[in-house]
Amino acid sequence: MAAEQQTSRFKRRKMVPADDVDRKNPYLAHMYNDNESQHDSGVSLSDAASLNGHPNGNGSNGSAMKRHATTMKQAQTAEDGPHNYFKPAAQLSDRYFGILKTRRGLPVHAQRQEFLDMYQKTQILVFVGETGSGKTTQIPQFVLFDDLPQSQAKMVACTQPRRVAAMSVAQRVAQEMDVTLGEEVGYSIRFEDMTSPKTILKYMTDGMLLREAMNDHNLTRYSTIILDEAHERTLATDILMGLLKEVVTRRPDLKLIIMSATLDAQKFQKYFMNAPLLAVPGRTHPVEIFYTPEPERDYVEAALRTVLQIHATEPEGDILLFLTGEEEIEDACRKIRLESDDMIREADAGPLEVYPLYGSLPPAQQQKIFSAAPAPFKTGGRPGRKCIVSTNIAETSLTIDGIVYVVDPGFSKQKVYNPRIRVESLLVSPISKASAQQRAGRAGRTRPGKCFRLYTEGAFKKELIDQSYPEILRSNLASTVLELKKLGIDDLVHFDLMDPPAPETLMRALEELNYLACLDDEGELTALGKLASDFPLDPALAVMLISSPEFYCSNEILSLTSLLSVPQVFVRPAAARKRADEMKELFTHTDGDHLTMLNVYHAFKSPSAQDNPKQWCHDHFLSYRALQQADNVRLQLKRIMEREEVELVSTPFEDKKYYENIRRALVAGFFMQVAKRESSGKTYVTVKDEQSVLLHPSTVLGQDSEWVVYNEFVLTSKNYIRTVTAVKPEWLLEISPTYYNVEEFRKGEVKSSLMKVRDRANRRAAVAPAGRR
Amino acid sequence: MADEEEDDYLAMSFDTAGSKQGKETSIQRTARLKKEAAERGRVPSKRELADQAKAAREAALATQLDASNKGAKMMAKMGFKGGALGKSEDARTQPIEVMLKEDRGGIGMDSEKKRKIREAAAEVEDQHKRRKVDEVEYRERTRNEREEWRAEGQMWSAMRTLEGFETGGVATGAEADDVRGHAGDASKLTETEHKPLRSINVLWRPLVKQRLEKERDRRMRYDLDQSLSRKGDYEDPDADQDDKLALGAEVEELDEEDPELEELEALSFAERLEKIIKELREEYYYCFWCKYRYPDEAMEDCPGVTEDEHG
Repeated sequence: MAAEQQTSRFKRRKMVPADDVDRKNPYLAHMYNDNESQHDSGVSLSDAASLNGHPNGNGSNGSAMKRHATTMKQAQTAEDGPHNYFKPAAQLSDRYFGILKTRRGLPVHAQRQEFLDMYQKTQILVFVGETGSGKTTQIPQFVLFDDLPQSQAKMVACTQPRRVAAMSVAQRVAQEMDVTLGEEVGYSIRFEDMTSPKTILKYMTDGMLLREAMNDHNLTRYSTIILDEAHERTLATDILMGLLKEVVTRRPDLKLIIMSATLDAQKFQKYFMNAPLLAVPGRTHPVEIFYTPEPERDYVEAALRTVLQIHATEPEGDILLFLTGEEEIEDACRKIRLESDDMIREADAGPLEVYPLYGSLPPAQQQKIFSAAPAPFKTGGRPGRKCIVSTNIAETSLTIDGIVYVVDPGFSKQKVYNPRIRVESLLVSPISKASAQQRAGRAGRTRPGKCFRLYTEGAFKKELIDQSYPEILRSNLASTVLELKKLGIDDLVHFDLMDPPAPETLMRALEELNYLACLDDEGELTALGKLASDFPLDPALAVMLISSPEFYCSNEILSLTSLLSVPQVFVRPAAARKRADEMKELFTHTDGDHLTMLNVYHAFKSPSAQDNPKQWCHDHFLSYRALQQADNVRLQLKRIMEREEVELVSTPFEDKKYYENIRRALVAGFFMQVAKRESSGKTYVTVKDEQSVLLHPSTVLGQDSEWVVYNEFVLTSKNYIRTVTAVKPEWLLEISPTYYNVEEFRKGEVKSSLMKVRDRANRRAAVAPAGRR
Repeated sequence: MADEEEDDYLAMSFDTAGSKQGKETSIQRTARLKKEAAERGRVPSKRELADQAKAAREAALATQLDASNKGAKMMAKMGFKGGALGKSEDARTQPIEVMLKEDRGGIGMDSEKKRKIREAAAEVEDQHKRRKVDEVEYRERTRNEREEWRAEGQMWSAMRTLEGFETGGVATGAEADDVRGHAGDASKLTETEHKPLRSINVLWRPLVKQRLEKERDRRMRYDLDQSLSRKGDYEDPDADQDDKLALGAEVEELDEEDPELEELEALSFAERLEKIIKELREEYYYCFWCKYRYPDEAMEDCPGVTEDEHG
């Protein structure tokens, strides 16, 4: 604290000459209308007055900023300090001025006035800025200085597709504005709200803004909404666009900015009633593109060969290789390291450092990609370089400087959903032309680069689609439909989406919600549906959680729901698979993976583990991060349950029905994800869809369970069901009689088996009362 | 269960009824039951299971959800009358296809395979057709082809002669340029490369263009393959850079449109040859057929303009 004061005193002394200059600046006159002794308070008072009392600045102070009529000059003067415009009592720090200098060099800054002119003139604006233009950090600040949301007691929202981006950008902008993160600048992501009543700029995931819209259909808390990275076309961004298209007509005072990194902006313009467009060039260098003369037989092998050849023959510069998934990437990294060691020994190559990069990699590991390339072995020797092997997260979301060579095999793992077999899965698929261009662009961040495409030019033209399919076309829409209903959209059929999904996708979603009793036969929200939509969960999980008190195990189902909402808790490193499996056995419950996960959680919460949870997780091959996250999710969900008065109860552990109750509660949510073992052997067949599936090798379940619920259907060359738990067929008939209306089933093993169960139950029911009588 | 057995039994007796008549013996019966049990108990191979699963999946993927679906009924109540959702005109009506990638073939590999299969099939078909063509037609066609081919060779040769005159080089049509290696090409290239392609006489411009294209191809291959596979002792990045700069300029020019050249290339080989010969005669008093440069315009000893006149 003392140190802080000292620096601020130092600052003030240093700023004296600047003060003198500022005094002559007419735009700063309002800051100096009092004598020196009242400097601080004077500024804050006059600011407060012009901001809160007289938003139009018609007080004594003629040069005060007028909402939606400010200029770049005014804003810059305000930014130049010495006091923080949005926190008038505070002096701006040295670090602030250091960052300010960099900020003024960003490409967007050059067009700040142009931006303001357009922003003031129009309600909706489409803004295109390539990565590196500074749009995500600067545009919201430009808006703040003109929109002056504090004067309206409103906020500016800026949405991001990813949680990490929302957090890190908010942190950066808080620094740039010299405020504490969570005060004037904050963020809001699922299960974490880092804002306060002071907040005027809020970075948030697009999903969070959608959640807010459910309870505030007109988004009245915001004066400007910025949809960033709109080109990524996430599900939530698409829904938000549809929603905001309606909101802007109801709220003429709301301004909307659509920001995109690629030049497909015309589509956005057209969709938003021909909104004007502003484009800012990024800082990019030319990238030379090379194609292969023939299609590749094995794209991974071709990629490795190309990387090594670049290392052997090309001048200094780092390499970025795009592959599809964790396993493929780790494997490639291992092979490149081996081969490059050979090259160093035999061909006097320079050092090559290889880093993997994928979403589930711990942040500390991810951070490594930013380390500098290795130095040559001896001064004057052949230069070292780093090679990053990444999924498509390096395509748009992460910026790595120093990349000069990009190797692009043309594939990525993409989510696909097909309503006909109700499978949502990640599949390796060809990328789009737009993605390929984006990837190539990564080579030109620092200097002219090269992109090696491992396919022919003809294949690029003929085989790749122009734009990637937006997420809304590749997703199960059950939770989206529930959200839309909660958003007050009744006409789902004609809701104006930029890319409406296939009708069958909506059909399935409605059907699922109807079976879950969230929607009635007319398509109206039921009480259960309303309640379920309050939980930021898949409808099946939400329904399971809400109905769990009926099975006396809501505490346990709460834990389980949290565990199912976070990444995999079991860690199975390639080098220690056996040991990891042994550790997993400690927690195994033979009735299934769900129960096993629950055992893990309970063990994790035990006092002995909590002594040193990190070490404990390490020893037991569990992901500390995932468990911690699950803990956090649990807390948030628990709050919602308490608010909505969903009872928290448990069956005593000694009771022999403890686990059975949990399994029954599972059925209440997942009755549509059930498979029955075929009489012929170890394959299972899914109920109703009749797909032949195998239990995923990771399961703890013995092969003798005839009926199972599963959490996930994994589509590969073999169909797997993952995270499975044994259930009894009687429960299915009892807990979800509408779905298990046996008469409606197609003839087959599942039907005859269910009929037997039903008849047996009926007989028993008929006999029991008679016996009692 | 009892039903099933009876079914099987009846089916069996029907089968044997025609050949043996009469009841099956107990030995036969035991053998049959054994066989049937084995059939039932046989565990299908992984391959078979995978195929079955795939077939079931593909069948399901190809089956559209119909009006009996609960969701469809709900949508009907919301006013859905078929077609697409939303308000845009080009919205999709079918779900995105699920494509399972089962190997590591690169982009274009599958269609390359398909193309090869198609080509092979087409070739077989071609052969069939060819056999059907009657002999006269066949002779006619081969003769035409041969003439075409000959005219083309003469045309290139005439072009080279013309080039020789215009650049002051020594080239005479007799030597075939193609047989020369890269060195020859490269040296010719340096002569002409500083000259914009369009300033070259259109009659022999194709010659230079062809050379440039060849050189470009060579360099692209060199960039993609050879430079990548060179040994680590390679230490000359600067030269590479310069080459590329030079190349960059050529590449642009090569891809530019050239209406003059297009016009020429629309003519048949014989017609083009005629034009070049005319140019040679008028400008250089050279007869392509005599292979001789006459001292003056009269070209006295030359029998005529066409090849036939030269016997």
